[in-house]
Amino acid sequence: MQPQHSPTHRTHRLGRLTEPQVLFPALALLLLGVLWFTTASLVRLELANARAAAVASTRELTETYEAQVVRALREIDRTLKLVAHVGRDADPAQTLSQLAGHGLLLPSLLFTVSVADAQGTLLASTSSDAPSQVAGRDYFEAARGTTRLSIGTPAPGATADDWMLSFSRPLRDTSGDFSGAVTISVPASYFVSGYEAAKLGRDGFAGLLGSDGIFRTGRSGDTVTAGMRTDYAQLVPDNDVEHLPVRLNVNDWDGVERYTAARELYDFPVAVVVGLSAAEQLQPAHARGRTYLLRSTAASILLVALMALLGRLSWQLQQSRQRAAREQIAHAERIEYIAQHDSLTGLPNRSFFSHTLHQMLALARRHQRPLALLFLDLDRFKLINDTLGHDAGDALLKEVARRLTDAVRASDIVVRLAGDEFVVLLPEQCDESSLTVVAQRILSAVGKPYDVLGHQFRVTVSVGISRYPDDAEDEESLIKHADAAMYHAKESGRNTFHMYDPSAPQPSLERLSLESSLRQALERHEFNLHYQEQRDLNSGEVTGVEALLRWQHPQLGLVLPHQFLPLAEESGLILPIGRWAIETACRHGVTLQTTHGRPLTMCVNLSARQFADPHLTQELKNILDASGLEPQRLELGIAESVLLANVEQAMTVLGRIRALGVRVAIDNFGASYSSLSTLNRFRFDTVNIDGSVVRNYEHSPEDQKLTEATIAMGRNLAFTVVAEGVETEDQAKFLRDRACDKAQGYYFGAPAAPPSATDTRTD
Amino acid sequence: MMLAKPLRVLGIVGALMAGTADAQVVTVVAADSPIDTLSRREVANIFLGKARQFPDGRPAQPIDLPETSAQRSAYYLAISDKHPADLKAYWSKMIFTGRGQPPPVVDDAEAMKNTLARQPNAIGYIDDAALDARVKVVVVR
Repeated sequence: MQPQHSPTHRTHRLGRLTEPQVLFPALALLLLGVLWFTTASLVRLELANARAAAVASTRELTETYEAQVVRALREIDRTLKLVAHVGRDADPAQTLSQLAGHGLLLPSLLFTVSVADAQGTLLASTSSDAPSQVAGRDYFEAARGTTRLSIGTPAPGATADDWMLSFSRPLRDTSGDFSGAVTISVPASYFVSGYEAAKLGRDGFAGLLGSDGIFRTGRSGDTVTAGMRTDYAQLVPDNDVEHLPVRLNVNDWDGVERYTAARELYDFPVAVVVGLSAAEQLQPAHARGRTYLLRSTAASILLVALMALLGRLSWQLQQSRQRAAREQIAHAERIEYIAQHDSLTGLPNRSFFSHTLHQMLALARRHQRPLALLFLDLDRFKLINDTLGHDAGDALLKEVARRLTDAVRASDIVVRLAGDEFVVLLPEQCDESSLTVVAQRILSAVGKPYDVLGHQFRVTVSVGISRYPDDAEDEESLIKHADAAMYHAKESGRNTFHMYDPSAPQPSLERLSLESSLRQALERHEFNLHYQEQRDLNSGEVTGVEALLRWQHPQLGLVLPHQFLPLAEESGLILPIGRWAIETACRHGVTLQTTHGRPLTMCVNLSARQFADPHLTQELKNILDASGLEPQRLELGIAESVLLANVEQAMTVLGRIRALGVRVAIDNFGASYSSLSTLNRFRFDTVNIDGSVVRNYEHSPEDQKLTEATIAMGRNLAFTVVAEGVETEDQAKFLRDRACDKAQGYYFGAPAAPPSATDTRTD
Repeated sequence: MMLAKPLRVLGIVGALMAGTADAQVVTVVAADSPIDTLSRREVANIFLGKARQFPDGRPAQPIDLPETSAQRSAYYLAISDKHPADLKAYWSKMIFTGRGQPPPVVDDAEAMKNTLARQPNAIGYIDDAALDARVKVVVVR
């Protein structure tokens, strides 16, 4: 499992890196790290370079200084040797004067040459200031016992801050005994006059250190000193011509830390000491380092600010993206909710139901749990819709939905399937007794009185119940069986419930399939019209045709109008079907006029719903305009019962139809009400005497009287009388004798197919 | 004639003042020297060892009076603004670093005049009171 999990985990962690609250701080830290590492390296490099430069410079200055000092000392030594040599047996004053005259002595401006006898008494000097007795002076006493140059310790000079250095060599008489000494005195500052502040700095150091550890002279900046003591052995390394070590130490004579080098001179008992002040030499590097640090600090602040800004912007961007995503999801959820819910009642709809039923069945199957499906259909809902209007119907549905939801548990699911059909899904509540309780609760809840839009009424519901797994294993059968049980409930007088019973006959099954295929019949062009001729009883000529609707069902074959029209009427499908019939009849009417060569009346029957349709007149007008049939060639048959249902409205509608120029026929006259007064109340063009009346006249005196009266009234009130369903010669003769205008029926001809097969199709 | 010249020099180089109001130090060369005039800078360069020749290309040999003489201090102050201590430090450095040697010294004005008379390339300075035919005054601009 672990190897399978880790990649996702890693991806997740990497993904977190791109989140602004992680990315920008991380980036800032990284950049700060690089910045400060670089800065530290630069500062270190600067210091290292400065140190290296100071060391190199110290070494170079020491070597230069060494060369200068050696030369200066050699000049002094050579002069001393010269005086000692020339003046060995001569008068010292004369010797000095002669040598000076020849320019063989050092410039008197700085150098004083003196000669003393063995007792230290001055014999001659180039300066009048020379001391007359030098016995006891260290340079003089040192000259006694050596053949080398001796260098005296610094002595105060003429002025307070001036020091004098004296160099001497012994004089030997012919026997080689000490006979005196030649001395050269020079200001100590002479040996450090080469000090250049440009190279050594204000705090550098250059000086001469005697091997006795006493500085003969030393200079730092403009200050010349002499006589300081230090540890010669420690300061001056063993002579190494090749390599001059430079050490960083605090010079103990003045407490300044310097890169210090010292070299013992060849042939002279002194060493040159040169130092460069560490503080002074490294100061530029330190200054540059501080500049780097300052710049880095500024850059860091800028960087942090920039990253903070970027981070904030990015965070805001992410937030707005997430917000947009959330809105999108919310929108999608809303859309899904809308798609899965009924807008009127707010209950889940068929789409949700199909989905949920599938899932619940799967769950029930897996956990071996039962599931019950209740199929509900309001009784006579259409009546309420038709009588109280759609608004009342909608309000009723809402109230029913509310009562249903209240009647079941929250875990049960109430769905509005379509129209007045509801479904309740009950998980785990499936024994017959508890289902009975639920069903009765539903019946009583729905059955309570309603008060909607000012109307008080009662509505009942019929409930069919099927169960998984007892009645059905799959969704389709579960629904089908509940539906079948519901129709049983309807058939048992409504306002009741029925459990599914497989042994019960299933007429409702046919009805169910008929209704669904009726919905598709128009699209599949399964309807067509047949025409039955109407003849003038006197002349025998064809005066018109009546359009009769036929349904050619793909499986059931020919389905007759009385088999499907009630269903169509109830479901409302009659409207599109009726419209199609009028449209088609009108087109065929035009064709028939042409083929027949004479005007013919096209008779089409209107259903009750069509007659009540407020769009009827407008549609008629459109159809007539589109087909080109003259309005007076169209005759609409309306059943007497339809007219009588709402007389006021019927009169208005009839008026509108006739205003179009379309003829109106009272259809099925005599079939039910047999009220002659009807004929007085309405304005119409034709009366169609129902076939049952015509066929019965021989046996029923009432029917005979009705027929005769109708014909007589037609003559008086100037409407055409058409006898329908004429099947025999006797019937025809009876009618002819009574001077009936027209007749139709099998006696004159069976309904026939339309003029041309291709014309039966609607476009 | 002889008196007019130094007066003119004095008029130009008023700074060449010795200790007393009427004692003036003047730049001198041998009487037969072709040098008549030099700039103050040229004179200073010759005496400080920075120039070894006169502007016309002939070698120049400066001669000093003793360090103790008042004329010497006054002269150097006039031509180079240097005091004796400055000069000592200057020459100390020049000698130590091997870049030059101070001029040779004669004992007094008389010795100076003799030396100048002997050496046509020599140049020196004396109190104007000591002027005579052996030397001539160089006009310093």
